[in-house]
Order: sequence, then structure tokens, then C-alpha cells
Amino acid sequence: MGTRIAGTPGAAGVAVGPVWRYVPGGVGESRMPDVAEHPGAVVRAAGEEAAGQLNALATRVRKLGREDEAGIFEAQAMMATDPELLDAAVARAEAGEEPVSAVRVAAEAAAATLAALPDELLAARAADVRDVGARIARILLGEDVALPDVPSIAIADDLPPSVAAEMPPGMLLGIALESGSVTAHAVILARGFGIPAVVAAKGLVGAARTAMSVAIDGATGEVVLDPDPGEVAQFRIRAATLAESRRAAVALRGGPCATADGERVALLANIGSPADTTRALEAGAEGVGLFRTEFLFMRRRTAPTEDEQVAAYRAALEAFGPDRPVVVRLADIGGEKALPYLNLPAEANPFLGVRAIRLAGAGSRELLLTQLRAVWRAAGLAGVTPHVMAPMVATLADVQLLLDLRDEARAGAAVTAAATGDPLPATMVTGVMVEVPSAAILAPELARMVDFFSIGTNDLTQYAMAADRGNPALAHLQDALHPAVLRLIGMVVAGAESAGITVAVCGELAGDPAGALVLVGLGVDELSADAGSLDGVRTALGAFTRAELADLAGRALAASDAESVRAMAGELLARQGSAASR
Amino acid sequence: MQVAELDIHNKSGLHARPAAMFVKTAAAFRSSVFVENLTRGSKPANAKSLLAVLGCGVEQGHRIRVSAEGEDEAAAIAAVRMLAEGGFGEAAAG
Repeated sequence: MGTRIAGTPGAAGVAVGPVWRYVPGGVGESRMPDVAEHPGAVVRAAGEEAAGQLNALATRVRKLGREDEAGIFEAQAMMATDPELLDAAVARAEAGEEPVSAVRVAAEAAAATLAALPDELLAARAADVRDVGARIARILLGEDVALPDVPSIAIADDLPPSVAAEMPPGMLLGIALESGSVTAHAVILARGFGIPAVVAAKGLVGAARTAMSVAIDGATGEVVLDPDPGEVAQFRIRAATLAESRRAAVALRGGPCATADGERVALLANIGSPADTTRALEAGAEGVGLFRTEFLFMRRRTAPTEDEQVAAYRAALEAFGPDRPVVVRLADIGGEKALPYLNLPAEANPFLGVRAIRLAGAGSRELLLTQLRAVWRAAGLAGVTPHVMAPMVATLADVQLLLDLRDEARAGAAVTAAATGDPLPATMVTGVMVEVPSAAILAPELARMVDFFSIGTNDLTQYAMAADRGNPALAHLQDALHPAVLRLIGMVVAGAESAGITVAVCGELAGDPAGALVLVGLGVDELSADAGSLDGVRTALGAFTRAELADLAGRALAASDAESVRAMAGELLARQGSAASR
Repeated sequence: MQVAELDIHNKSGLHARPAAMFVKTAAAFRSSVFVENLTRGSKPANAKSLLAVLGCGVEQGHRIRVSAEGEDEAAAIAAVRMLAEGGFGEAAAG
């Protein structure tokens, strides 16, 4: 039996391999020549060499497309020759302090200043300064980090970004850290590389001092030092099972999402900015069921211009092309975030207040018109049919307002298009979000006015159960699988069917395999969720027939609470899991 | 001496890349350049030091005072002003 240490899951995956220990350097005396005569010059030269190494690293990782890491190394290069750090270290060395110690003390002082600021991002920069100090110290000591030459699992207290990035490709099988958090640089790197990581494994470094090999499971947080052959076999089986299920899920990406008896369910992605399109396309999304546009409106003093919005929408529409619709949701903004250009009075209950489509009646009609004009023009430039939906629709009058704004915006966009010679689509596929219970109740009437419904299960649940989404004391009232919410969804589906329009769900429930089974059973046509959830939903739906899902939905509607519905869906999913592993 | 008070609109304030751009711009001039965070009430810091600028903890919505003293002080202030007003090439939206 090997030594077992329990850590915290950092990045999923399983690895078995030799141990590579990283011990931060920088203790002892400088071995640089001339240090006795010109201690200050030696320290300055070491700082400049460190900056050169870091700039070279930045260039290397930028070529690999890792722009964020390149930015970190460039900042570290500036820190290595920063007057606050290097001048202080040089002064200390010239005053007679041992150069290695002078650098460490100066780096620690600079790091402590940053760490004391009330800002998490700057606290992370403090670790970067310490890492720079350690690098300069290593140069003074004439030390190199001995990088692994066989594929290994790194064991360390923490793995600084510079060391992790210098690792030759393919040499890092996994990472196990004694400290570190799930947001540590090394963990983010591990996720990017697709290798497992375990963090907060207490006692790891001490226990691993003489270990030759290690097995880690990044999903459970298990670390086994010097595993015996039985344990090695166990971890290898886990790794193989994981690889197999990932391969199976990925293999489904190219094909359509359907039930076991071939009934199609459109599977789309939710995106929050044009930058999310790559991930969504890679995950096999058939389009975008919810393009949140709030990113354009938040944290600024003036409303975004029409041209700025055209550029943002066009980028997303072009990425998906004419065969994959992108549903742009009109800005869901209101009084909970003070947007200076909205001029809204403070409200006691902003989620029940003037927001989204309601802004049109509160002096911000032009804001919605500008957004709609931008969507018309962006679709024309991208050569696609625009799809738009409005959030917070509660009444027939709200829908009429949306349709009027849409037509007025087209007239405005037509003037611009005529002037520029740009194309403009003739029609816009127009839908409403169903998230206010009144809209669910009025579904048959609303369905005759629009082209589609998209159910926002998070808000529908919050409003139906009168339970604030953000209040942890109300967790028992926040599960969208509650039969009361499911009955409302059933009403929406029936209303949509009576008018022959489609129903999508774009809330979190759509990305939850249990939720997806129930929703499709209720007759929902399209599911839209975060790109990371699509594999799981596609795999789950493919395991059951439409009749099995309808039976599940029927039992769910009659259940007494959300827990019972979860148990019913869980039972089906467990059956699918055991079938998959046979 | 030349002084300017500037509002920081871009979303990451004077962190990360904007901080580096700010420092590189200040360092391109012979004048000594100092920056202080008026919103947080920090002491004047060397604008040519990334660590000192990060230490001001300038976030989006903060107001800073930049002062320059030397032969090219007017040009230094103008360059920094242009950078801040352009949002450091970063969208104000988040």
C-alpha cells in the first residue's frame, strides 16, 4: 500500500508516473565572480538577466497562443528591473548585505505592499514578485531548476508560473501541490494542458521526500505516493475509463443531438461575449440560444454606440454563419447595477423593478432601439437572418412593444444601410423569454405574436417560488426541477404547440443532464447551455427514447418536490452510466 | 511642473497590461513622473516603476493625479493623458 494523502480537486483527470520535486531555490551565498568588489553591479546584472529570460519566455508562450501567460511574463520582466525592487536590492547589497538575501528582502517588501491592497488580482501579483525575486536569486546562486527529462508528476508546495511554463512539452503528466488553491496559476495551466491537478494536499511535500512514483486523481483529490501494483492498476483503469468516456462524448460532437429513437433536440450554447464563440463551436453547438449582451453595457459611463454594438454582434454572427442561428438577447439591465447613463432611481427590489424591456417605458426607449438597429445591421453585414429575444416580458403589451421597436429599428437601420450600401435583412426571427410567471400563463396568446419562446429557468424559478436566487438560506426553493416550475414549463410548451412555434430552454436546467431529460420529456425542442455542459447533455439524451423521457416527465409533474424529481432522473442516469461502462 | 487629474475608465484599472503601458509611457520621458490615486488617497508613487504603480491600487472608476517635472514635462503629461482617455486600448465594458 502506498501513502495516501487527501487533497482538493484542482483539474480533473488521472495520472500515474515518476515524481519530480520542485523546491524553490535562493538560499545560500552568491557564487557570482566579482561579488566582493561590486556587489551592487552583480545584483543589477542578475536582475537584467532575469528580465531577459522572462521576455524570452513571454515570446515563447505567445507563439503557443497563450497570450495571458505572455502578459504575466512581460510584467515579471518589468518587475525584475523595476526601480522599487532592483534599486532597493542594489542599495542593500552595496550596504554590505549578502546579495541573495538583499534580493529576497527587497522582493518580499514589494510583494507585501501589493498583498496588503484590497484587491485579489493584486494579491496574485504579489506571488509574481516573489517568483521574480527567486529567479534573480537563482541566477546569483548559479542554479538552474533541474527540469524533468522523463514525463513526470510535479510535487511542490506551490509551482510558480515561470517554472511550470518552462517545463518541456509533454514532460508534465500532472501536478500535486501542498498549498495552492483551485485558482492557482499551476491549476489554470493544468486545465489548459488537460492534465490533472490536486491542490491543498496537506503533508504532501514532507511525505514525498523519498517517493519515487505517485498516482493522482484530479477529480477526487486523491494522491498515492509509491503506489503498489494493485493501486497502479486501479488508477490506470480509472484513467482509461475517463479517456474512453471523453472520447465517446467528443465523438458525438460532430453529429446531431437526438434521443435514442432518433428524435432531434437542437443543442445550442449560451455565450456572454463574442470571445466565447470558439469554445461553443468546438463543443459542437448548433448555434447560440442565448447571446447575453450585458457585457456591452456594464461598467461604463455612457451607453455603447450603435457601431460598437454592430461590431460585437457581427463577430458572433459571422463565427456561426448562416446555418447556425445566434439568438441575441436584448440587454437585461436595470436598477441593481447603477449604470450612470440609465438615470434610474434606486429601487427597493430591482429584480422586480424597471429592467430590460420595461426600460422602454422609463425613458430608455432609445437604448433598446439602438440595440435593435445594431442587430439588424450586423445581420446584414454577416449575411444571416437576425434572431432576437426580449427578457422580462410579462404581458401582451410588452410583446407588442417589442414588435413595434423591432419595426421602428429596421426603418432606422434601412436609412443607414441605404447610405452605406450595406445589405439589410427583410425579417427578424423574434421571440420572448418566458421567465415571468404571467408570461407562462399567457403562453397561448403570446405564442400567436412571436416566432419562438425561450424559457429562462433560473428567473422563472425565482419568480414562481418568490425566492431570491442569491440567498443561500432559500436553496430548497431554488431548484428549477420543482414540479410547480415544471408545470409552468408544461403550460409554455402547450401554448407554443397551439401556435406551432418552438420552445427553447436557456437556463441552467438545460445544461444539467437530469434537467435536460425532464425538459425534453416535457416537449421542449431546443436546449441552450454553457459549452462545457453540451457533451454531458448530448450523451444523456442519446441513451433514452422519447417515450421513456415522456414517462419521466409525467411522473415529475406529479411529484411532491424537486428532490423526488432529481431522484427519478438520477435513477435513469445511473442506468445509462452502467450501460455505458459495460 | 505639469499636473493632470485623470479618470480611469477601462475595466482593469491600472493593473496588468494597462499598468505596464502606463509605466512604459512614463519611462519614455526624461522628466520624473509621479502618480497618486486620489480616490484611495495614496502617496505619490514613481510612475516609472510597475511595482509602485500597481501599489497605488487604481481600479476602474478611480481618479488619479499625474505630475511631471523636467524638460519634457508637458509632453509626458500629454502622452499619459492620451493613454488614459483611450482606455489603454482596453474596452470600458466588462
